[in-house]
Amino acid sequence: MNNHVDPITVSVIQARLDTITKEMGETMLRTSRGPIFHEARDFCTSVYDAECRLLAQTEYNPNLLGATRFAVRAIRDFYGDDVAEGDVFTINDPYHGNNHLNDHTVIRPVFFQGQLLFWAAARGHHADIGGAVPGHNPGATEIWQEGVRIPPVRLYRRGEMQRDLWNLILCNCRAPEITRGDLRSQVGATRVAERGLLALVQKYGAARFAAVRDEILNAAERRVRAALREIPSGTYHGQATLDHDGHNKEQPVTVRVKVTVGEDWIEYDYTGSDPQTAGFINSPYPNTYSATCISLFTVIDPDIPHNEGATRPIRVVAPEGTLLNPRFPGPVGICTVTTAEAMLEAGWKALAQAVPQLTSAGWTRWSAPVIMGIDHRTGHMFADILFLRKGGGGAICGYDGWGHIGTPICGGGLRDPDLEMHELENPFTLLEHEYRPESGGAGQWRGGLGVIYRWRMEAQAAVAVQFGDGHRTPPFGLMGGKDGVPNTARIYRAGGQVDEVDSKGVYHVFRGDVYEILSAGGGGWGDPHLRPAELVRADVRNGFISLAAARDDYGVVLDPATLAIDWEATRQRRGNHL
Amino acid sequence: MSFRVGIDVGGTFTDFLVVDAAGEPHIFKTLSTPRDPSEGVFDGFRQMAAALGLGLRDLLAGVSVIVHGTTVTTNALLTGNGVKTGLITTRGFRDVLEMRRGVRDQIYNNRCSPPAPLVPRHLRLPATERVNYAGQAEVALAEADVRAAVAQLAEAGVAAVAISFLHSFQNPGHERQAAALVRELLPAAYLSVSAEVLPEVRFYERTSTTVLNAYVGPILSGYLASLARRLADSGFGGTLLIMQSNGGVVTPEVSVGKAVNTLLSGPAAGPSAGQFFCQSLGLQDLMTIDMGGTSFDVCLVKGGRAITTREGEVAGYRAATPMIDIHTIGAGGGSIAWIDSGGLLRVGPQSAGSDPGPACYGLGGVHPTVTDADTVLGYLNPVYFLGGHMPLHPDRAEEALGGLARRLHLSVPAVAAGIYDIVNASMAYAMQVVSVRRGYDPREFALVVAGGAGGLHAAALAEELEIPLVVVPSQASVFCAAGMLLTDFQHDFVRTHKTTLDGADWSAVQALFAELEAEALATLAREGVAANRVALERSLDLSYTGQFHEVELPCSTDQLTGDGAAALAAGFHAAHDRLFGYSEPDARIQVVNLRLVARGRVDRPGVRPRQAGGGGAVAPKGTRPVYFKAAGGHVETPIYDAAAFAAHQTITGPAVVEAATTAIVVPPGFAFAADAHENFLLYRQGESLAQIVQRLTGGVAVQA
Repeated sequence: MNNHVDPITVSVIQARLDTITKEMGETMLRTSRGPIFHEARDFCTSVYDAECRLLAQTEYNPNLLGATRFAVRAIRDFYGDDVAEGDVFTINDPYHGNNHLNDHTVIRPVFFQGQLLFWAAARGHHADIGGAVPGHNPGATEIWQEGVRIPPVRLYRRGEMQRDLWNLILCNCRAPEITRGDLRSQVGATRVAERGLLALVQKYGAARFAAVRDEILNAAERRVRAALREIPSGTYHGQATLDHDGHNKEQPVTVRVKVTVGEDWIEYDYTGSDPQTAGFINSPYPNTYSATCISLFTVIDPDIPHNEGATRPIRVVAPEGTLLNPRFPGPVGICTVTTAEAMLEAGWKALAQAVPQLTSAGWTRWSAPVIMGIDHRTGHMFADILFLRKGGGGAICGYDGWGHIGTPICGGGLRDPDLEMHELENPFTLLEHEYRPESGGAGQWRGGLGVIYRWRMEAQAAVAVQFGDGHRTPPFGLMGGKDGVPNTARIYRAGGQVDEVDSKGVYHVFRGDVYEILSAGGGGWGDPHLRPAELVRADVRNGFISLAAARDDYGVVLDPATLAIDWEATRQRRGNHL
Repeated sequence: MSFRVGIDVGGTFTDFLVVDAAGEPHIFKTLSTPRDPSEGVFDGFRQMAAALGLGLRDLLAGVSVIVHGTTVTTNALLTGNGVKTGLITTRGFRDVLEMRRGVRDQIYNNRCSPPAPLVPRHLRLPATERVNYAGQAEVALAEADVRAAVAQLAEAGVAAVAISFLHSFQNPGHERQAAALVRELLPAAYLSVSAEVLPEVRFYERTSTTVLNAYVGPILSGYLASLARRLADSGFGGTLLIMQSNGGVVTPEVSVGKAVNTLLSGPAAGPSAGQFFCQSLGLQDLMTIDMGGTSFDVCLVKGGRAITTREGEVAGYRAATPMIDIHTIGAGGGSIAWIDSGGLLRVGPQSAGSDPGPACYGLGGVHPTVTDADTVLGYLNPVYFLGGHMPLHPDRAEEALGGLARRLHLSVPAVAAGIYDIVNASMAYAMQVVSVRRGYDPREFALVVAGGAGGLHAAALAEELEIPLVVVPSQASVFCAAGMLLTDFQHDFVRTHKTTLDGADWSAVQALFAELEAEALATLAREGVAANRVALERSLDLSYTGQFHEVELPCSTDQLTGDGAAALAAGFHAAHDRLFGYSEPDARIQVVNLRLVARGRVDRPGVRPRQAGGGGAVAPKGTRPVYFKAAGGHVETPIYDAAAFAAHQTITGPAVVEAATTAIVVPPGFAFAADAHENFLLYRQGESLAQIVQRLTGGVAVQA
């Protein structure tokens, strides 16, 4: 322990930094226009020191956790000394340090007595950033086809709004009202951070704060190293396959990882993964780094603060020109979800060989549309991502998977829109939103259930851009648990025709059409015959699994009328595992 | 009819405050009896009667009002012992309760389970029906579905039925139709209907609140019925009132229909108590804290009103009806200190509870706790803890802290001081959550302290947050029971009405408010509240067009006009800037909800004046070594008896002032004073108490 900083002040300041990022998040939740922020919370707020080291963050969407620091560094590197109090910057271009175009990152330098001491960043997912289609363009083969590229620029110069630049950004978007409101909300969040950070440094002084900061980072580093010592050293391999890249629809794409666990460090080496693809699943290094951090942080002690210190023991190798570190100008649109999921899965499968009891079975992959059109009730544009399609979480030793919770890259941080709000904000009539029976993989611990999500289009027309994966690849089971049921989507046309919806594609939806998404259930963990028969019976009674599944998958035979357990028949199937 | 009784049934103790005809308060405490809480209540009455030299019947015949805070519903929820409940809901949407909006609080923790739904899926039954987003009935209610559902629920033996249909907050027709059928077919069941419990947008929040109401409703109605019967049998002819989570009281009849509103029935009286004890000082802006053995509760009172929230959760279950914004953290005397894997000292949230309790209790506890640290630091008197009823063992405390000291390479007193600082930091953080994070500056509030351990930590908390004045009421140990006697009737009403501010049809808005007012006045009249005691407060939930969270802005009736709207707009822009760091003067503002709070004022007992002093200094009763950081360690410190203080007598730190149920630590640099009534005050030495109070009251100078 560092002797010159008292551990008490360290705890106090760490708590205060966390609060500041929570206050930023609260500001975005309560003031934003787009349901992607205020209902779904697809954003992340964070604060950095002058050297752009991450001090604290609130990540409702964990996938932003390790990536935002690269954007802050890009601003610092581009502007150098040309940074003043009252400046506010933004960036969205992955080839300038961002992760993908949709995540606008708004960054404010914070000065104390004329000296740059902090950076505050609010990053959030915008439904539309221009480009060929709303959301993510499955046809893109170059970054320019994905939307407007914003390198480091100033939204405010010394407190003065740069109206010309705002105009340039907003006239390249389909729903400028929503984009303007949400960017303002992000700017407000960084202002709230500035107030909090200044109060903190006024109280403790810059010099004392710097010493405490070092200890905050060192303490998190020690905790990660301690956790890594608990994992048997060695080299472990994992891989995960994506359905396709949106461009070559019959060509699966594979992420391969070699995980080396040292005494108190860990390396994820993606050498051997497929080369860069033509379509939009390429993952820029900041995103690859971030997804890798989640893959580890969801296995070790979840209580460790995820600051710069916590990531020091993690090394990520991704050769240039591969899927996980593409060359300019490869498209990258859905890397933050789809490719991140594949990295997460590959990493889990590798560590499952070392610490299976700490490792989750596969979760649902994301697959749902960004949707945009004119709401006939207001005459205004509506724009949303259909978060109600959340699917099942994977089971893990000791715990069933959660229903309606994933994608794993959000870990339950993203929130569903409320059903009534969903209808008030979008011209849809919801027809069904319930658990999807029998979708969770069987296991001693059962995979969580996906959902049945059906709605009818009431407006004249809208464009739905489906993005995601996992229509062909099911969530994997672990340690004898079975796979979950994969994603499916269809459009039942008003005229009677039924169109299959692919995980990556552009669909036009018209009044009376019914859009149906059946999200995947999570994978099971452990031998299903070891699941207590009473729990199997409860699952049948609640309609989570069928009588046939109880019998065939779990070896539990129930009386169809009373649901009483037929112990004799069950014993015949299970042997002694009752 | 001369006695007024406040009763707070807590987890360990049932607290009573009795105020007699002369305004004299009497404090009683009995052990709680969780199996039938009315046992503990009657134990208290018997104790009271004996102390006052009366028979039980004579005492109860002489009681005019009983205000009762109860934890029966809270305990039922915490222990999973609510009633078997069924839910009838719109077909296709029966899992909203269990899905919880797809949120997992610990996003990196794959090894945890969600809270079990209060209604399992096989008791969540669908009925075909549909009201659309605009409140129009599009698909008629299939009564056959309701009948089938009721039959199934009856067979399962449910004691309560919740009904929640989509968009019923705009059109409750189908819910009413279904409710009538349930009443007819299953008359014994407790019925909870969403449009009655919470007529507000957001299906999950409304359904969850309605189900909670059903789950604890029969528990509350059973308990209150038996209590009322027992009281009547024993000669009680006065009024029984029930404390609600929103900080107001209601009659038992009203309470039973809104059982969800009693989930914070006990602690919700804290703000009223704080206001009562501070009224003689003229203070309107208070932060009340209650530090017990395992938890720390904090609430804010601003301008004489407790801050409320509609985003509450109790035991992980979402209740969206207005409740006092009580922020609770797991920090108290029993909180255990430990070292995390990064080598940092941490305190809580694990607690040693009361059995075995802190190591210094000598009951077998070995974990180092906050109370052990307080003992090592000399803040607690080993022979005068709980008035001498429980001896403390400082050697056990030192032994328990020794392990931490060795691992941290610190001395035992240094570790104790560290524990003291860390638990204070957690509590200060909780205090910031209800102040700074809500946009309030803690320096503008007085800190009102309750609970046995509060006085040991209050000065340090005040220093951390730069709070200028600490108030420790002499009845701090029955703080909430006292608060109950001072609580007004209160009902909250809401209607969703979406319009732009500049395009509002103000006559329609006023008509809606008039409807709410009529409902409010009728409810209060049923409770026997005279019209001249009713106060109505209106407010609007406003946002910029396109936003989906609102800011609640109080409004007067004359602002609800085309001309008055400009003032509303200005007020909204200012509030938005204060809360969120920016405003958008060029953007349109929309109205989302109309809210009305109706209060019926009750008679309050006055505060007693403290005996005037004969001049001269207070003499300490002794000295002992006590640790103060400013002094660099333990220093020989004077110890005072709280009862020795006459009005306006003052001492300066370092000192410890001891009463039977609490002690107050006065660090160097602090002054301690007895006020003219029932409080003890702490403030920075060298400052003028009159000026501090004047600053806190916004210029109204009051003789402290």
